[in-house]
Amino acid sequence: MKRALLFIAALLGLLTASSPARAEVTLRFVIWDGDEYVRAQEPAIRDFEKAHPGVKVKLESVTNNYMTRLLAQYAAGVAPDVVMMDPFSFHKFARRGALLPLNDFMANTPGFDIKQYYPSLVDAMSADGKHYVLPKDIAPQGIIFYNKKLFDEAGIPYPDGTWTWDFQERPELKEKDFLWVMHQLTKKDDRGRTTQYGYAVGWTNLFVETVAFSLGARYVDDYKEPHKTFYDDPRFIRAFDFLLELTKEKKWVPGETELNTVLQTGALKLFTEGKVAMYQTGAWEIVPMRRDIRPGAPGFFEWDVTLAPAYKNGQLVTPTGGSGYAIMAGTKHPKEAWALASWMGGEPGMSVMAEKGLSQPARMDMSRRAPWVPDANTPPEQRYPANRAVTDIAAQHVLFPPTHDFYPQVQDRAFAENEKIVNGSKTPAEVLGEGNRLAQARLNLLWSQEKSSPPFDWVKGWLFGGLLAVGLVAWVYWPERKKKLTQAMKKENRMGYLFITPWLIGIVGLTLGPMLLSLMMSFASWDIVTDAKWRGPGNFIEMVTADPRFFPALKVTAVYTAVAVPIGLTASFLLALLLNVDVKGIPLYRTCFYLPTLASGVANALVWKKIFQADGGLLNTIIYGPHGDGNFLGLAAMLRGVAGANGQVNWIGNEKTALASLILMSLWGAGGGTVVLLAGLQGIPKMLYEAATLDGAGPWARTKAVTLPMMSPYLLFSLVTGMIGTLQAFTEAFVMTGGGPGDSTRFYMLHLYTEAFEGLRMGYSSALAWVLFFVILAVTALQFWLSKRFVYYEGDIKK
Amino acid sequence: MTPALSDFARMARRRAAMSAAGRILVFAVLLVMSLTFLSPLYLMLAMAFKSSSELATTSAWSWPKQFTLENFKTVLTAPAMNFLLFGRNTMFIAVTNTVGVVLSSAMVAYAFARLRFKGRDRLFIIVLATMMLPGIVTMVPTYVLYARLHWINTFLPLTVPGFLGGGAFNIFMLRQFFMSVPRELDEAAVIDGASHWTVFTRIMLPLSTAALATVGVFTFSGAFRDFMGPLLYLNDPDMKTLEVGLQTYAGLRGERWDLIMAGSVITTVPLILLFFVGQKYFVKGITLTGGK
Repeated sequence: MKRALLFIAALLGLLTASSPARAEVTLRFVIWDGDEYVRAQEPAIRDFEKAHPGVKVKLESVTNNYMTRLLAQYAAGVAPDVVMMDPFSFHKFARRGALLPLNDFMANTPGFDIKQYYPSLVDAMSADGKHYVLPKDIAPQGIIFYNKKLFDEAGIPYPDGTWTWDFQERPELKEKDFLWVMHQLTKKDDRGRTTQYGYAVGWTNLFVETVAFSLGARYVDDYKEPHKTFYDDPRFIRAFDFLLELTKEKKWVPGETELNTVLQTGALKLFTEGKVAMYQTGAWEIVPMRRDIRPGAPGFFEWDVTLAPAYKNGQLVTPTGGSGYAIMAGTKHPKEAWALASWMGGEPGMSVMAEKGLSQPARMDMSRRAPWVPDANTPPEQRYPANRAVTDIAAQHVLFPPTHDFYPQVQDRAFAENEKIVNGSKTPAEVLGEGNRLAQARLNLLWSQEKSSPPFDWVKGWLFGGLLAVGLVAWVYWPERKKKLTQAMKKENRMGYLFITPWLIGIVGLTLGPMLLSLMMSFASWDIVTDAKWRGPGNFIEMVTADPRFFPALKVTAVYTAVAVPIGLTASFLLALLLNVDVKGIPLYRTCFYLPTLASGVANALVWKKIFQADGGLLNTIIYGPHGDGNFLGLAAMLRGVAGANGQVNWIGNEKTALASLILMSLWGAGGGTVVLLAGLQGIPKMLYEAATLDGAGPWARTKAVTLPMMSPYLLFSLVTGMIGTLQAFTEAFVMTGGGPGDSTRFYMLHLYTEAFEGLRMGYSSALAWVLFFVILAVTALQFWLSKRFVYYEGDIKK
Repeated sequence: MTPALSDFARMARRRAAMSAAGRILVFAVLLVMSLTFLSPLYLMLAMAFKSSSELATTSAWSWPKQFTLENFKTVLTAPAMNFLLFGRNTMFIAVTNTVGVVLSSAMVAYAFARLRFKGRDRLFIIVLATMMLPGIVTMVPTYVLYARLHWINTFLPLTVPGFLGGGAFNIFMLRQFFMSVPRELDEAAVIDGASHWTVFTRIMLPLSTAALATVGVFTFSGAFRDFMGPLLYLNDPDMKTLEVGLQTYAGLRGERWDLIMAGSVITTVPLILLFFVGQKYFVKGITLTGGK
């Protein structure tokens, strides 16, 4: 043991001793872009370092959990200097004083003029007249990429952006009517199935917004300070109905089912394959398009970009994205940080991105010239699409989503059921009406909690925490305090504590504090960024009275656990018995079954999406056959009630089958449990089997008399840890369904996660967590109590 | 109680007769099931060796017509990627953790399984309770704690906790294993005057190779694969692990599945090999036969 301790000590020493050499000023620069963007930006950063001797930039590319990481770092006082922000995220930092206002820097920088940037973008990134984010790119979505070859084939002139549309086709306008063009460019086979779509849209809401925004509909009353929601505006409903007509009746536009190819943004793939004539999306898809539609490669066609049509008599208004750089208030080098931000959000940084076609500059002048708009010097591989000048026009007709930091949660409520529109189980009017009601309720709740509540009293909090810890120690020690110990027992007692010392250090030093803190926060409202406020039992009251997701989430989790755990345990056990026999190649099999546990999460998720896919997925191919007319084991007949529009089941997109699909998927991980049970099987002394065999026991009797009792400790272990794990199940739903459709797979943990990191309501999510804690505690206690009769410990301490 | 030789012979004959049909069945079941379970690996390999244009035009399940190493080249030569360095960081974290977790969880589990000390059973409830609170709500407080200890941007948050008990899951598992080891085996040693440390290292650990190997493999692959930990606690680009370094492709718009999968192959294949080689220890059980 001493050696182990020495090793730890040596390790600690080794790690703390090495501190890196420092340049004069080191700036931490964090972006959420990956690979191609980093490649493009590296040279600009190196140029910055050359132009600013003594300043070193450490670029951190965080493509995943960007905000979570930033929040944790901010809370711990170790935030970076310059960070990437978008109009929807900066507000929660800015509102709480976590970002430096940039006005003074802008005023004192010669040659800098914020008026050069798109005004809508600048406005979306300011609050109360202060600029918090220096924009770097804008991504208007009112642009349509089109396949010139398909236009040629149909004999229609290339679009110049001066077109409009109506809910009805207007053939008299010919190529000036978007719907007519769409119709002309759609091709169908003799069975009425579309082989070439006239138009596709990157995602459902883009279509709805393009239509409804240009008709004048808006989501909320005030985009900076929303108080009233309008998701059920008749114009949104009309736009949805219109989309359903185009996808399901006319079939000029591919619907979700047709796009559900999983591998790539479905519509992008259809476009690059030449199966879609016009494709509306943002400029960020230019790079993948260039990669997949390569001159000289088979299937190449000429393509370009044009402006999306405005609605008849309406104004062109389309959604947009955009981002920029902000300076964290805690920076020790504000001057250098601004130098970096204005470098990367100025000419040097934006032109490297424009050159590679990665993003449209946030500055209007740069959006109108090379390298963003191709000229004579543009290298051939960057010429497509030639008409990039339209992105500048599109950028002048954009509407940013509401920027208030409540908004993401409000929108989440409003759109939660939208899948039901797409899969046809409810009408747009029903879904949007209910969505609007929930969104408005959420908004009201959030505003009502804004009202001043007393600050959280940390002294009392920690006093309470300390008392609790003391109480815990007393609870552990009290019953046995008077027990008389013999000399040998005293020694054993001491040895026991010595053996568990590492764990004791861990729990006291690292685990207990954060646990107590989260317990305290369950009585507070805490957004990580600002100080906690006292809420008393408010969080727990909200759960049962004002949270429409609490009970459904509990129910979904309970059902999932009740079904998945027993099935999974049985599967693991049978698999372990199977793998314990002496067959050739058994090491290979063991590895196979463990593979899903080892393989990367994305690969697994992809496999399952491919299995559950509505159109041509593995499961449907088995049930319905490759031509869609099969009836494997009579399953097709049995599933008629849940089949979707194409007559087959959309497994994870259907409320009735989504949870069952996730349960099926959980069996995939049975290999992990198998390994544990396999180890247990190895632990059974062979002499027991030999003895049983000698007593004339057959294989079944041996299993019953030897294997099962000897395995009972591991089965208990698997059951208890399985339950604990499943009650906290998260990833499955997060990756596969996002909780939908409806709330059918909204696991308790998913709800908790959303509240914590999307709603930034750490207090409420802590309360949710502690409720779950006590549920799990009760379930586990019950299991141990029941297990007393069934579990046999060969080496139990005789009392 | 040595059985007569004829008993063994009879036993052996009976076993052989049973197996003939049984083995074919077992074999068939295993074959079909392992093919199913192999599909993620298949998909990963098929996609990793396809060119992006082939990937865009063919089904994901089709085997590459033209093998290309281009994806691996792209992944490994990315400016933000330093394969050797990240690999070394990952190995350091994974190996340190494995050593720490196996050692410390075995120690703690031994005490809970074999030693009588005051408050043991209630302390064990506390061990289990640490698994029951979702990590999401302790994440930020833990981060703040590590920041106060000046552990951010060092490997300490990713290695030290492993030495401090090794986690409730492992303690619980090893406790169950140790409790199943017949007590006669170590009681004799204790009576002979051996200390508990000796019993632990000389009797318990050697008897538990299978369980320890299981804990080791779980820990190693968990640490090797860990994404959130390194992402949160390490800032320095030079301290990245493979999993974090390769994540750069997941955030790409118009996702590059070819590159994501090439990255997955790079992190998965070593684990599969390790498991394949190490799995023989899983079956090293208590091979004691009776009649000594």
